Amino acid sequence: MAVTRRRFLGTTTLGLAGIVATRTAPAVGQTREISYLCWNNFAPASDKKLSEIGQRFTKDTGIKLKIDHISHMGPQQAKYASEVQTQAGHDLVEMRMHFPWLYEPQLVDVSDVVTELEKKYGKAISSSYEGAHVNGVWRAVPQYHGMFMAAYREDLFKKASLKVPDTWEDLYAVGKELKKMGNPVGIPISQNYDSISTAGPVLWSFGGMEVDKDGKTVKINSPGTVQTIEWYKKMFKDCMEPEVLSWSDASNNESLQQGKAGWIHNPVSAYIVAKQRKLVTADGINHHRSLGGPAGRFETDTPRHIGIWKFSKNVDASKEWIRYLLGKREVYDEYIMAGDAFNLPAYDKLQDHPVLRTDPKFAALKGEGVQYHTYGWPAPPSDKVQLITNAYILPNMIAKAVTGTATKDAIAWAETEMKKIMAG
Amino acid sequence: MAIGTLPTTAPAAPLSWRARAREILDRERVLGPLFITPALILIALLVAYPFCMALYFAMSNAFIGRPSHFVGISNFVRLWDADAFRQTFQNAFVFTGISVAFKLVLGIALALLLNQQLWFKRIIRGSVLLPWVIPTALSTLGWWWMFNSLYSVVNWTGISLGLMDPPGPNWLGQKYYAMAAVITVNIWRGLPFFAITILAGLVAIPKELYEAAQADGAGPWARFWFVTLPMLKPVLAVVVLFSTIFTFSDFNIVYVLTHGGPINATHLFATYSRMIGLESGRIGEGAAVSLYLFPLLVFVVWAQLRFVRRQAY
Repeated sequence: MAVTRRRFLGTTTLGLAGIVATRTAPAVGQTREISYLCWNNFAPASDKKLSEIGQRFTKDTGIKLKIDHISHMGPQQAKYASEVQTQAGHDLVEMRMHFPWLYEPQLVDVSDVVTELEKKYGKAISSSYEGAHVNGVWRAVPQYHGMFMAAYREDLFKKASLKVPDTWEDLYAVGKELKKMGNPVGIPISQNYDSISTAGPVLWSFGGMEVDKDGKTVKINSPGTVQTIEWYKKMFKDCMEPEVLSWSDASNNESLQQGKAGWIHNPVSAYIVAKQRKLVTADGINHHRSLGGPAGRFETDTPRHIGIWKFSKNVDASKEWIRYLLGKREVYDEYIMAGDAFNLPAYDKLQDHPVLRTDPKFAALKGEGVQYHTYGWPAPPSDKVQLITNAYILPNMIAKAVTGTATKDAIAWAETEMKKIMAG
Repeated sequence: MAIGTLPTTAPAAPLSWRARAREILDRERVLGPLFITPALILIALLVAYPFCMALYFAMSNAFIGRPSHFVGISNFVRLWDADAFRQTFQNAFVFTGISVAFKLVLGIALALLLNQQLWFKRIIRGSVLLPWVIPTALSTLGWWWMFNSLYSVVNWTGISLGLMDPPGPNWLGQKYYAMAAVITVNIWRGLPFFAITILAGLVAIPKELYEAAQADGAGPWARFWFVTLPMLKPVLAVVVLFSTIFTFSDFNIVYVLTHGGPINATHLFATYSRMIGLESGRIGEGAAVSLYLFPLLVFVVWAQLRFVRRQAY
């Protein structure tokens, strides 16, 4: 049939009117496209692998995937906040630790995807559950995790015949010797997240906590906190140097890598970077199991999850990407292996993953007998609990105590500040 | 032969739309507002709208991505309750007061120096602007390395020259040193703005005034005190005004150098606001932090502009 000019104009006008009215593009010729915002992984090979997997995903499904990276912590939070406020941006976002609690009303319920993954790989690990399971609903899909542990200069320990510590008290005994050798213990006591990542496990190991599990009652004023502060005081005096008061998240890594610190509390990244950059200290660095205290053996975990914004117009396609990346065992394995043990699987049955056998120095990552939690545990990470974390009240309480404030005054200060936040 | 008469009034030919538009545009009452409108739209969109939003947020319990409600001035009242905020408030005044004072004195000195006949005058004047031109976050990162406990070139130099006992000051870990460090970087960064603006003022002072003063027997100090300084007053007032506002709202230097630490000893309104508003999701309180000084700054602006006008007329 010949198409006259009048007929062409009539048809296209009607079509356009339809599209404008329904705000939906016609199915024919519509290319599904999703965008995914994630961080610059500390293991860069992992980002490269993610890009490769993304290209295969597009080839296999026809869904275009755009992956954007953003630097750690600060810019990430600002970006999330602006996307939520403007209701525009990426479809999927990678979230660290307790972020799903902050953005709960803006995140799609992804319980269906998590249920499928849990059927296949076993339950999500406890820290992923704490971070992404918000008020009975999975608001993000557990992706991987990387826990804190003990990284130390095995060569120096052997040279001085020092025993690998098993408890925080053992570390004090070893630390005194290390400081005499010019290789002090490096635990930051400053306004950064690594400070909280160490202060938390020490506090939990001595039986203390910031807020009770009811999420309301401030419990910082306890004998456990007193023991924690006294331990920090003697560590600061006899095993560390005042520089820890000024450290950033990267400082303890650098101190170990540059040959100064003899022991630090950190994820495996310090060793991985030393190995990648072929630093002279790399061979001498090893890891050991997390330290314990009278109340048990605890560790900070940094789980990561993938969330889908509710404003996304491509929720189904977004879920398809998550299923592709995490639900296909061979793809998930490939992704984890690329992370050089910095990114570990977030599901129970995958804990003894082959990545742990790629280097004998990853053996301690099995974390046997260690309880892993996120900041603020045992309280659920509500917005108030997160403000306590982000206001650095815990490391500031310790910093006050080690720089001259009486233990009870430092605790009283922290208790007052925490109570004000809980009341606000 | 009569060749006919020309009609005395020809019927007016209808003006083309172009001619009509030209005629309308020729009217000042139309053209003026037309020129101003784009700027007004920009100000409305990029200044007025965000400012009104900030005002609304500051008086609401806004939390990222959740519905908010009007809460009056309770955010401002509650903030004052927090130890960290009171510390921030104090820090802002110490930081701004000391920085602006140093920048003013050093800026005048540098401008006087640059006003002399120097070799390579243009190169020197250009290079003085470098700290002002380099992106602050980048240059502060350089300073962070210089103050860093592990790599501090400041301490290394001090120890090598026998001026410091090893390991040297804990620049970013001790509250007074940390404040000194952030102030130092702010002075380093802000000095070119003072120096170059004051230099422009200096160049504009008529030479005759100095010649007359010299003829009256005035020495260099008297010439500076009775000619240079009074003539520079309007310029100095404007520079101080701008610098006070910029310094109060500084963010990059503290964020990169100390992250507000140790124990909140260097937090400024902008860094504290970011911590509350973005990192913890409490947009309402975060906006209240950043607007806390607004009334005071408005007063400073009003007072200084009034002073400048008096000087000018």
